[in-house]
Amino acid sequence: MTVTITWYLLLAAALFSIGVGGVLIRRNALVMFMSIELMLNSVNLTFVALSKELGLIEGQVAALFVMVVAAAEVTVGLAIIIAIFRRRVSANVDELAEMKG
Amino acid sequence: MQNAAWLPVAFEIVLIVGALTVLMVAVVMDRNRKVWGPVAGFTFLLAGAVGVLQWMDVADGGGGMFFSAPGLEITKSPMVVMDGYSAFAAIVLGLVGFTGFLGSWDLVTKIGKRSAEFVTLSLLAFAGLHMMVASPNLLVIFVGLETASISFYILAGFVRDDINAEESSLKYFMLGSLASALFLYGVALTFGATGSLTIYGANSIRYFFSLNLITEPGILLVGMALMLIGLFFKISAAPFHQWAPDVYQGAPSGAVGLMAAGVKVAGFAAFGRIFIGGLLSQIDAWGPIVAVIAAVSMVIGTTMALVQTDMRRLLAYSGVAQAGYLLTALLAGADAIPGMWFYVSTYAFMIVGTFAIVSAVSGPGSTSAPMSDYKGLVRRSPELGWLLAILMFGMSGMPFFAGFVGKVLAFIAAGSVGYIWLVILGTLTTVIGLAFYLKVVATVFASDGDAGEVLEPSLSTRFAVVISATITVVFGIVPWILIDVVRDALPF
Repeated sequence: MTVTITWYLLLAAALFSIGVGGVLIRRNALVMFMSIELMLNSVNLTFVALSKELGLIEGQVAALFVMVVAAAEVTVGLAIIIAIFRRRVSANVDELAEMKG
Repeated sequence: MQNAAWLPVAFEIVLIVGALTVLMVAVVMDRNRKVWGPVAGFTFLLAGAVGVLQWMDVADGGGGMFFSAPGLEITKSPMVVMDGYSAFAAIVLGLVGFTGFLGSWDLVTKIGKRSAEFVTLSLLAFAGLHMMVASPNLLVIFVGLETASISFYILAGFVRDDINAEESSLKYFMLGSLASALFLYGVALTFGATGSLTIYGANSIRYFFSLNLITEPGILLVGMALMLIGLFFKISAAPFHQWAPDVYQGAPSGAVGLMAAGVKVAGFAAFGRIFIGGLLSQIDAWGPIVAVIAAVSMVIGTTMALVQTDMRRLLAYSGVAQAGYLLTALLAGADAIPGMWFYVSTYAFMIVGTFAIVSAVSGPGSTSAPMSDYKGLVRRSPELGWLLAILMFGMSGMPFFAGFVGKVLAFIAAGSVGYIWLVILGTLTTVIGLAFYLKVVATVFASDGDAGEVLEPSLSTRFAVVISATITVVFGIVPWILIDVVRDALPF
């Protein structure tokens, strides 16, 4: 049984969907945040698999760029979550409902 | 077309150098705002001037594609493109940034020792916004989008001791990152379907479609849909607008003005670059989706704005409706670009000016703006009252104000390609929308009750509001000045 590009793309799509589901369903800010990272990494997998299949280097370069962007996002995201955690000692987003309408 | 030139990236260079200068000066000169404040303002103006230089250079035939990978021909994979489109975006972003910076100065003086970071981040954000417009490479567009978004996540939560600011920052961060990730997956799938990340040049997405006239693989459709959803989030089109009201309300006023205006300008410009510049041949696939989203945005934005009691939430839902009108303009393909530019550039000034007023009336670091703050505003500060009325008329689409011309251009564009039902719906929601804009005006001019103490706005706020109100009125009365300019602001 050979592993073709379809397998990689399907795996990436599955991981991406798990990530989307995690952001939409889970209520813990940290877990939601991990789900976003999962989405970005599944995109990386897609890029690298397509790069290999199409014989183009751009996809691998893209994966590097995405990693750097994801790192920047982690820094800011964790800072925001910690700032909230300090005040409330909870990372549950349902408690963040001061504003409505 | 040469491989190394400064002018195409001069906007980004100016802003980034300015940002670093502000940071350094603030460290060395003991955080004296009087020194780095003018540096920051001058940087925004200089960036706008760079836009004018780019515009003149493009008019002389100096535009084109720049900066490909080493050893590759320039048309193979250009990273930066300089055309009327990116030059006009540079002018608008520079001036909107300057006006927004003036509007946020009250906040900057209030937050004390961290204020230099605030200004640095807003400069960096605008560099990212222009990258979204000036690059033909989807990956660079993504990097620009993230540069701007990450800066704005921080700006939204900048007043750290406020519970609403934290909430708005987290909401903006979560939904913004989700949108970015969706957009990126769309880029990856489009790359898989077309074998290219580039919009223009040899081996580009556009070249791919000029060869394969009948191809419409599912992977491309999914990719386009995901890129659309990502951009809809950023421009706060319904039903992807849930973050907007909370962020507009909870973030400090000065930051919201910059964010709301900048993201709208760059979001729509990037939309035009990707979908009209690169994927125009697929308009039959994405056109109907955009039409439906435009209709939903107009309806939801207008109806929700009617019931708001907070000025900033009202402005957020008004922004959702405006996103709908702007999407209407884009349905006509390449002919729609001038109308889109007219609308989005005048709207950007209106929203920046309005938030400068909100900042002056409800307080620069405030995280809510109940409508009662604005009752009898004209008696507390006649100039702010009148200028707010002008801006509200401008947004509502009253004749003789810029918003009217923008809407007319958008509806003509949509009507010319057969979306008559959308034009009718748009006209209806515009008329219904008058209700809440006029409600604000009526509140401002209310003569009953105690108005409160006299309000003396700061000089920077006055400047910001006067600039935006002037633009609203001038381009409403003599719109052809701007229409003649945006006619040349096309992507090639």
